[in-house]
Amino acid sequence: MRPAAVAAVAAGTLAAAALLVLAAGASPADAFVALLRGALGSSAALGETLARSTGLVLTALGAVVAFRAGVLNIGLEGQFLAGAAAAAAAGPLFPDAPLAARAAVLLAAPLAGALQAAPAAWLAERRQVPAVLSTILLNLVAAAGVTWLVRGPLRDPSGDYPQSRALAEAALLPPLAAGSRATAAVLLALLLAAAAAFVLARTPIGLALRAVGEAPRAARAAGLPDVRLRVGAFLSSGALAGLAGGLEVLALTGRLYDPFTAGVGYTGIAAALLGGMSTIGGAASALLFAALGAGSSALQRDAGVPSSLASIVPALAVLALLLARGERRER
Amino acid sequence: MSDPGAALELNGIRKAFGPVTALDGARLTVRAGELHALLGENGAGKSTLVAIAAGLLRADAGEVRRDGALLPAADARAARRAGIALLPQHDLLVEAATVADNLALLDPAAPPFESAGARRARVARLEERLGLELGPPGARVGELPVGVRQRIAVAGILQADPGVLVLDEPTAVLSPRETSALFRSLRARVATGRAVLLITHRLAEVFEGADRLTLLSRGRTLLEAEVSSTTPEAVGALLLGGAEVSSRSGALRPDPPDGERVPALAVDELLPAGATGPPASLAVPAGAALTLLAVDGNGADLVGSAIAGVRPARGRIRLSGRPVPPGDPRAFRAAGGAFIPADRRAEGLVPGLSLAENLFLRRPPGRFVIDRAALAAAADDRLRRFGVRARGPWAKAGELSGGNQQKLLLARELEPLPRLLVAVHPTRGLDLASSSDVRARLLDAARAGAGVLVVTADPEEALELGAPIRVVYRGALSPPLAATTPLAELGRRMAGLAP
Ligand SMILES: Nc1ncnc2c1ncn2[C@@H]1O[C@H](COP(=O)(O)OP(=O)(O)OP(=O)(O)O)[C@@H](O)[C@H]1O
Ligand SMILES: [Mg+2]
Repeated sequence: MRPAAVAAVAAGTLAAAALLVLAAGASPADAFVALLRGALGSSAALGETLARSTGLVLTALGAVVAFRAGVLNIGLEGQFLAGAAAAAAAGPLFPDAPLAARAAVLLAAPLAGALQAAPAAWLAERRQVPAVLSTILLNLVAAAGVTWLVRGPLRDPSGDYPQSRALAEAALLPPLAAGSRATAAVLLALLLAAAAAFVLARTPIGLALRAVGEAPRAARAAGLPDVRLRVGAFLSSGALAGLAGGLEVLALTGRLYDPFTAGVGYTGIAAALLGGMSTIGGAASALLFAALGAGSSALQRDAGVPSSLASIVPALAVLALLLARGERRER
Repeated sequence: MSDPGAALELNGIRKAFGPVTALDGARLTVRAGELHALLGENGAGKSTLVAIAAGLLRADAGEVRRDGALLPAADARAARRAGIALLPQHDLLVEAATVADNLALLDPAAPPFESAGARRARVARLEERLGLELGPPGARVGELPVGVRQRIAVAGILQADPGVLVLDEPTAVLSPRETSALFRSLRARVATGRAVLLITHRLAEVFEGADRLTLLSRGRTLLEAEVSSTTPEAVGALLLGGAEVSSRSGALRPDPPDGERVPALAVDELLPAGATGPPASLAVPAGAALTLLAVDGNGADLVGSAIAGVRPARGRIRLSGRPVPPGDPRAFRAAGGAFIPADRRAEGLVPGLSLAENLFLRRPPGRFVIDRAALAAAADDRLRRFGVRARGPWAKAGELSGGNQQKLLLARELEPLPRLLVAVHPTRGLDLASSSDVRARLLDAARAGAGVLVVTADPEEALELGAPIRVVYRGALSPPLAATTPLAELGRRMAGLAP
């Protein structure tokens, strides 16, 4: 997109947000300052932004990897839940060995995410079932699965609420700085984003993947292993979302409860879209959304604006972007 | 400066795409009541010029006039209202829709609600009126061969009655008979005072059917002339400019050197999915070529794509004696096969990737990480040798002109030397110099030891290749005919008439 269009999208989004704030009876300037302060104003605020960004960066990455191979994986939400459930199941198996617990989570979560994506991949390749449909349905299955797990097999017998047993305190990832919620998880997510960008742009397999995604028939005719590439990308996408779910448990919650997510998988797709389906763009948008999320709590507290307003902003940004693109196609 | 009889007039048109200057002050005048031919080498700017005339692109400078009146720039609706209709080089039809629906969509007189029966009747009516076979009315266009698609697109656009009809290479995959049918209907149209502008690379058509011609080269107008005042030789010389026509062609060996040698390709009772005719059996010796000649829609291209594994099929395929399971392009490639598909944009190239990436899709230089310097150098060399006109190895394949896309594909498939090359319409959309160059390259590949199977709808091309010819009609293969068979006989066989 041209810089002018990017600027127009940003300006349009800001203007619409300001109008909403005005409608809520607050001053847009106050709200803006509160938002910024809540997102970046202190080490705790910055930590909150980074902690929130882990899941968003990884699910955005999952969306990009699948999309570039021509797969519309809308199931990141379910794959995230599968990863979180696997973490909650595997982590507590090692109450006295924190390192083993961490390793178990880091292995089980991506695997569970990939497994959650596998039926959709099979249905797409063998039965021509559109992945959009199957993954949306599998999201419902995953959500119901979490409900069942925390009331049934994984339920913590000592607690009053339906939630899973907690991981040992020592197994949880320590904060990067005292008083911050950010952990090494966010570093891992950013590292994976850089790695994915490199693989897509610079390696033979990345080239093959992009070819299959953009022109599946041409890639197949040229002798590329199209089915394997698409399935591989689909499963990797699921693994990234699963890892996101596992890290959520390992870094933040320590256990599984119900409902476990407020749509991180869907927001990740929005971030990927806003980032033009590029790895770096998707990760940057995910960071932006995380900052907005962190800032929104401050919005309520300091400026008296309903915090739900802040969650409207990412949606506005995506809409403005789509509008800008639509306008371009018209000419 | 304005020509009083001009139905369409373009003056001083400039257009650059980034660093590439596509048009550099080009002019074009089409008069009412004439069939005007627009000629020029691949990448000369023909498609760009007509896209500007139709309001699809914005020129950097210059003006478009219709009957003397200035048209607003880059306004496709205004152009349409002014009676300018364009059949683009690619992408007019809706591939997911049926033949009948596509033709209904292109019919300005179609009522908003129309029964399926009425739509089918339209197909029959058009076939009757134009003398072109348009395929089964209920078939989806995306599944039909490119030649049939081209006929449908032509028939579709002819339904409208625009004052200026612009056709961008409508005859590239038509057989001579279909081309004459098209020209008959175009002549009837200009006889009523309307204008037709036709882009083509075939000089014979121009001198048989056109009134005037404009020759474009590197974005400039080189020549505007009455057809009767010039000769094919003169125009050909201008078209070739400095380019020399490759004179490498020499006779192929009439027989494989050793009758016992394993053929490069042996096909036994092959029945491609969607084919209606009898199963096909054929063989191509190593170091030799075979031409399948057919009007598109008779199954020759299906045989080609089935051999390449792109289309599912039943039957046995062997490459150099090695069995290759049908429907598996990877197995075909692994056995040393190369393939030039008829539909270069859907089955050949990846438009959003760079030229370099397209050339080395399977094996880019570098083991785990692509060596970008080596990739650029190798691509640069290949582009130069195959005469692809582009701004560099990192240009996107989708930016290339139609003919240059074809050259890019050839550059990928001809190197390294395959054991078997299946080439469907290999010179589709290529200019004069490139066509003969490509034919020479195909023969070179055969001379170097590859088996070459060519599918074409152009009998002159078949004769020029000099390899045995098998005419395909309704799926049935004729016995091999010598490359000295009279043109008329080939034409009759292609039409299913007694030789
Ligand atoms: N969208 C685009 N982006 C960049 N370059 C373009 C684009 N469209 C055309 N060009 C360039 O403009 C030049 C003229 O292209 P054009 O398609 O008009 O050629 P043409 O005369 O129709 O050739 P052909 O006979 O091969 O169809 C070419 O060099 C081509 O690469
Ligand atoms: Mg063109």
